[in-house]
Amino acid sequence: MTYRWIEHTSELEVELEASTEQGLFEAGVEAMRDLLSDGETPERLEIPVRLEGRDRAALLADWLGELAFLAETRGLAPDRLALLELDEEGLRALVQGWEGAPPHLVKGATYHRLTLERAGAGWRARVVLDV
Amino acid sequence: MSDLRRVDDVLWEIPADAQSGMRVPARVFADSELLDAIRSDGSLEQLCNVATLPGIVDAVLAMPDVHQGYGFPVGGVAATELPDGVVSPGGVGYDINCGVRLLAAPFGADELGERREALVHEISRAVPAGKSQGSRSALGERRLNEVLAEGPAALVEHEGIGSEEDIELTESRGRLDEADPAVVGERARQRGADQLGTLGSGNHFVEVQRVEEIHDREAAEAYGLREGQVTVLIHSGSRGLGHQVCTDFVKRMDAALGRHQIELPDRQLSCAPLSSHEGREYLAAMAAAANFAWANRHAIAHRVREAIAAVLGEAAAAGTRQVYDVAHNVAKLERHGERDLCVQRKGATRAFPPGSLDVPERYRAVGQPVFIPGSMGTASYVLAGRTGAMERSFGTACHGAGRRLSRTRARKRIEGAELRRALEEQGITVRSPSNRGLAEEAPLAYKEVDKVVEVVERAGLAAKVARLRPVGVVKG
Repeated sequence: MTYRWIEHTSELEVELEASTEQGLFEAGVEAMRDLLSDGETPERLEIPVRLEGRDRAALLADWLGELAFLAETRGLAPDRLALLELDEEGLRALVQGWEGAPPHLVKGATYHRLTLERAGAGWRARVVLDV
Repeated sequence: MSDLRRVDDVLWEIPADAQSGMRVPARVFADSELLDAIRSDGSLEQLCNVATLPGIVDAVLAMPDVHQGYGFPVGGVAATELPDGVVSPGGVGYDINCGVRLLAAPFGADELGERREALVHEISRAVPAGKSQGSRSALGERRLNEVLAEGPAALVEHEGIGSEEDIELTESRGRLDEADPAVVGERARQRGADQLGTLGSGNHFVEVQRVEEIHDREAAEAYGLREGQVTVLIHSGSRGLGHQVCTDFVKRMDAALGRHQIELPDRQLSCAPLSSHEGREYLAAMAAAANFAWANRHAIAHRVREAIAAVLGEAAAAGTRQVYDVAHNVAKLERHGERDLCVQRKGATRAFPPGSLDVPERYRAVGQPVFIPGSMGTASYVLAGRTGAMERSFGTACHGAGRRLSRTRARKRIEGAELRRALEEQGITVRSPSNRGLAEEAPLAYKEVDKVVEVVERAGLAAKVARLRPVGVVKG
């Protein structure tokens, strides 16, 4: 499970790779952790998330957008997943992290050049984030 | 993009048959040097994708500061015809009504003197930026609805913030009538409630400047600008509220594409006919977010005036007047010739010429003010709209210098601390919550604003009025 940042003139584009489809969503948390990390604070947060959607690529973009939303509205700098389940209806997760003042760098996740596909024995996805 | 052909000195065109699905040609305002930079990223491909949108008229346009964005390029203009042409949230962008407001102080840079650093510091304390994003107090539901419906007029009327003159000197008087607060979703409200009067991050800033050179004395006099004067440029938008409106409608319109029988080369161009339920609701929500953005810059300007009062006294604050406020990410219903159009400007500024009834009366003889921020450490420009804009670009000019390097590359080229020192050596005081963010906005990451403005002027879209040089920057 890995992520890497792709060159983009004005925004941030991330490529995620994992051995499973669900692993892409876990890699997405790692990428967002990289952007939102604000150091350890006295308070821990645990926030349940439920997203609906049958289109997996759009669901992945919505997932990253949700993490940006939680950073901005709840001050959540995510660092681990206590739960992540993908099913036919969408996604259910329990996100844990530090409560702080993460930078409002990422405003949302776009559908531009959005891909999620099998790559050899694993899976690969790309998402452009609005900054 | 090999199909690019030269139309004239500063205009290039990709014909409509260059790519499958294009309904109109794509035109680019640039000189040869800027064109080389434009061709090096994905801007032209994105511009051709925009040319496939249903209901699009004449041509899609790229301003000389165009660069790769998502869906639309940043610096792109598209006009669709009512009633069935489409509106695309991606054609406006996530930061709905990101824009620029210019204030002119009653004192000169020489009078500011050694108090420059104190003023920049006081502005950085007064205007929340970066991580300390929250406003002093969250808006309640009723107040938020008033701001969404009325824009800055709600702050003047109910809070006594700013003045009627500020409203008069704001594009569209700071209010789009299509706004309907009821269609702004709960999550957008949640994000925006405590963000009024805050700068945000990324490329947003408050810059203290001095008027370095006057190019057009008549227009400068009309705008109240003189050489040596201190000005303050505010760059911000609709914050999380606007971002959420865009997110919500990209998703809704993406899901409705099949019903509207629209096929797109890029999902981020998701759109709906202006006459459709989704189209009408987006326009109403976008207009509400635009009103919020004008109110946001209005509240920031109030805080800047408070900072000026703290450092230079009440008289200096009271004499600090607004020159104008322009949006550069917005869709507007405008009449061009005999047609009713929805002009979608993403990273592009309305630039109406002398005589336009949409220009405040006191500026009507010289044209609408247009503000073109450079990068930190370089000049910004005040321009005036020209007739050529109505003839060639749906009344539009550029919006800035335009990015040249990605944020990652900028950070590899210079460190924030080093940049801060370099700017201080040039006499520019910098306040930034993060060295990383500072490096990402380094001047080397941007095109030369002088070249961009020169092309706009040669194209007849707008003309130079004044050049402003930074003396202090508060970065978001």
